[in-house]
Amino acid sequence: MSETMMIFGGWVAAGLTIFLFSFLYKDNPFFKIAEHLYLGAGMGWVFQTMLFQTWIPKVWEPLRAGDYYVLIPSLLGLTLVTQFFPKISWVSRYGFTFIMGYGSGLVIPLTISTDLMKQIGGTISPFMVSEITRGNATSLLNAAIVAIGFICVLFYFFFSVEHKGVIKKASNVGIYFLMLYFGAAFGNTVMGRFSLLYGRFDDLYKYSGERFHYATFVILGAMVLYFIVDHFRTRKPAVEEEAA
Amino acid sequence: MTLIKKHIPLAICFIVGLLTLSTYYIPTKASENYIEVMNKWENIMAGFAFLLGLFSLFFSHYNKMKRKVDGWGYSLFVFVGFFAMVIPSVLSHGRQMVGPDLTGLGWGYRFLFNALSGTMFSVLAFYIVSTAYRAFRIKSAQAGVLFVAALIVIVGKVPLGQMIWETVLGWTHVGVTDIVQWLMDVPVVAGKRGILMGLAIGGIVTALKIVFGIERQYMGKD
Repeated sequence: MSETMMIFGGWVAAGLTIFLFSFLYKDNPFFKIAEHLYLGAGMGWVFQTMLFQTWIPKVWEPLRAGDYYVLIPSLLGLTLVTQFFPKISWVSRYGFTFIMGYGSGLVIPLTISTDLMKQIGGTISPFMVSEITRGNATSLLNAAIVAIGFICVLFYFFFSVEHKGVIKKASNVGIYFLMLYFGAAFGNTVMGRFSLLYGRFDDLYKYSGERFHYATFVILGAMVLYFIVDHFRTRKPAVEEEAA
Repeated sequence: MTLIKKHIPLAICFIVGLLTLSTYYIPTKASENYIEVMNKWENIMAGFAFLLGLFSLFFSHYNKMKRKVDGWGYSLFVFVGFFAMVIPSVLSHGRQMVGPDLTGLGWGYRFLFNALSGTMFSVLAFYIVSTAYRAFRIKSAQAGVLFVAALIVIVGKVPLGQMIWETVLGWTHVGVTDIVQWLMDVPVVAGKRGILMGLAIGGIVTALKIVFGIERQYMGKD
């Protein structure tokens, strides 16, 4: 790729980044353009992924090689599109029921083995005799905290009995464990978003250099100018404001 | 007509669901082959299911442009973005790089899609912080626990936070990273397991209801 295209890319990336950040000040046409562009580009990206990773290698090439069995899922998949034609939209049920049946059949054993049995096993196993003799007091204490917390959280979600007395106390303890989980999850999410933010600032810094002809500064300046002009252009006369 | 419109689709769901379920518990060569074929079919169908979303989006924005509703001009950029990714991809046969050089698709991904998606999600950082300011007003002990857990995780993951911790609480000889690790390994696991258990039971029950045709909302109305 030529240097010109790389510089142009830098301008595009810096421009789109600043357009999207401009929403932090207020909604504006540049943000809306970038937002719609993102929607289209996202769909385009998935489309080309489907084209080169599914339709060509898994449908087109097998068909050319004489494997006509791929026509079955292709036709079932195409039935989904009949949703757009109300008179024959019922045909889409063939595709949907296949997907739902397969998905449900798959999810039951997987959920039982990973989310149910393994979680219960992970809570109980530290208390097995072999583990206790091997582990130390700290690990045993931690395992006890996990087990007690886990049972208390389950009490919180258990609605078949009224929450009073010991059950209420247990479910209250469960809330604290849930809060610790939500707090940690929130902290992790914040850090994830901030690492993306650093990445964008890093790119903006890169595109502000001489190689990219100071793209970041030029676009940022133009945006500031736009907002100043827009402010005076859309400002209502003082008399009108008073009358209102 | 009810047979074609309702009973056969439900039978497909039941048979496919039961067969898939049984393959996990009856591990034979036939089960393996069945799952392999079904995975391939599922992939192909997912590709066509994507078309459903794509056409829906296109119809929606095409109609906006056709009826010239407020802001219809922006809808044009949905198509611009779409073709800006698809045309170079077709020209470069889905490859992002040819040797050390970026292809048109690679260029689009790096300077268009990556810049847009990275910024779109990073903007949320500002909103999360402003929301947190309002949400974290400590009104109860439980809200206090939530706040402390979030604060420790945030402080423990940035060098500045670690430096502050060392300066203020260095005398305790307990590092903030150790606390974060303990938090993630012990109490957070307890809370997460409880939620996972609830999700698992709910998921299994819903899946069984779908297989046996009790839950059929996804089929739409007759």
